[in-house]
Amino acid sequence: MHELLLFASVPAHQHHELLQQLAGLTAMQPRHRLERRLVFKAYRKPGLVTTRVGASQDVQGADMQRLNKMLNGGMYYTQVVGPVTKADFGPTSSSAMSASHDADVSMSGTDQSSYCYDNQPWRLEFRDIPEAGTRSAVTTRLMASASLPKGDIAVPMNAWGYSFVTEYMVEGDVFVQNDIVIFLHRVLLYPQAESQDSHGPRQQLPAYHELTPLERTGSYVLQAAITVQDGSNQEMMKTASQHLFGLREQLKSAVRLEQADRLSLDTRAK
Amino acid sequence: MSSLTPDQIKTLEQSRQRLVQLTHSLGSLITSLNQSDPLPSWTSLQSQATIISNNLLTISDHLSDNRALLATLVAYPAPSYPARNPANTVALEQLLRTKLDPRVEDWVARGRKAGDTGPGQGHGLDDLAALAALWDWAPVEANLEARRRNWGGNFTLEERERGVGNVVTGLRRVLEDDDDDSESGSEEEEGEEESGDEEGEGEPDEMEVVGVRRKSGVAQGLEFDIAPAASGHAAPLTVVAPVVPLDEILRFMTVGIMPSQR
Repeated sequence: MHELLLFASVPAHQHHELLQQLAGLTAMQPRHRLERRLVFKAYRKPGLVTTRVGASQDVQGADMQRLNKMLNGGMYYTQVVGPVTKADFGPTSSSAMSASHDADVSMSGTDQSSYCYDNQPWRLEFRDIPEAGTRSAVTTRLMASASLPKGDIAVPMNAWGYSFVTEYMVEGDVFVQNDIVIFLHRVLLYPQAESQDSHGPRQQLPAYHELTPLERTGSYVLQAAITVQDGSNQEMMKTASQHLFGLREQLKSAVRLEQADRLSLDTRAK
Repeated sequence: MSSLTPDQIKTLEQSRQRLVQLTHSLGSLITSLNQSDPLPSWTSLQSQATIISNNLLTISDHLSDNRALLATLVAYPAPSYPARNPANTVALEQLLRTKLDPRVEDWVARGRKAGDTGPGQGHGLDDLAALAALWDWAPVEANLEARRRNWGGNFTLEERERGVGNVVTGLRRVLEDDDDDSESGSEEEEGEEESGDEEGEGEPDEMEVVGVRRKSGVAQGLEFDIAPAASGHAAPLTVVAPVVPLDEILRFMTVGIMPSQR
């Protein structure tokens, strides 16, 4: 599958207005979305060719095998995305601090949050580096997604030759206009805990208000995406980019949708 | 039914000749535009246009001179006319039309319209003195009208006098009438304007240019009224440009490199 993208930076003060504009444009209410995103980096295990070790028993579909092949072919960063809800976050009371400590130190936290790491569903999202030298002014890249087993994902990912790099939270709203998925989002960082090393994903979530935006001013990123099943179909790709240009034209007075810098979306692990 | 006198036939002949001339000159203009490469020089175009316009003038004169005759003439086919020949039939139909050709009808309608609205009708451009007087009058009047208003704010003076609450704006949000104090005196207003200027020099705060007027007294130069952003705003949104560029955010999202680490 291919993905065609346009991006725009949205200053914080414009966020609310843009939400309303998008709601008007797409004639739908925003769908709020919170996602845990884990970044994994491929490393070449000596002797690892196609061995698939453990924990992948319940997903052995055809696309899983294809994905496996793809993942072992090159060395890429890849993302594991898990949807969460606000209720999953730690309590916002005064015990928040101790709770977040507990989260890092032990799994048997005494907080009342319903978040259960073992039941966290995950989705593997592979994104290639955007295609170079495309004539059209949209970012085009190969993509693939597959659902992963629930629960602790670090072990199977390690087995596949991926090491955990970092994780963050993405908070935003999704709109859909025809074939375009509009995602107005921003990156939230977990509070820095002293015991936090890049061992693996968190078992517990801190209180929501402890998350800090990556961008200090709280600005958002507007992403407009069209997914094309058959990327080799030039006609389809052209139509899709035409649709994106149409959206860009409609939003011209509000934001400037642009092609992203190719290297900033470089997923190759060097 | 009387037959035509030689004079009348001569008149008809003349009309025909002049129309043929006009057709010729129009045709040559069209061919020169269509075929010559590069386009004919503007002098030759102009001379051709002059010829055509002279042709038109003579035809127009001729037609109006012989209006009485031409308006009463009726054409009909003589029994000897070889109407069986299809080519002749076409000519016959053309000659016996009582209405104009649809194309020609359009042209005539357009011409009539142009004639109606043209300079012949109103005073238009002919009356240069009146035009100049209008130009003299208009800027001053517009200026006076503009000065009568206090630009800025959400309501006009009339609306405020009648009571701001009665104004139907059609807006859901409540417009602040932040201009109340400006009625108390013009000095205060001046002060406001200055403070607005100061604000403008500092942070890129919200401001809007609300009015432009000629500087009083001096002939040239414009004055801008800069109204400070409505201070009564419920929560003044600070305009802060994003610090981290989009690329850095995307890079972090992709590979987890913190923006500061590069």
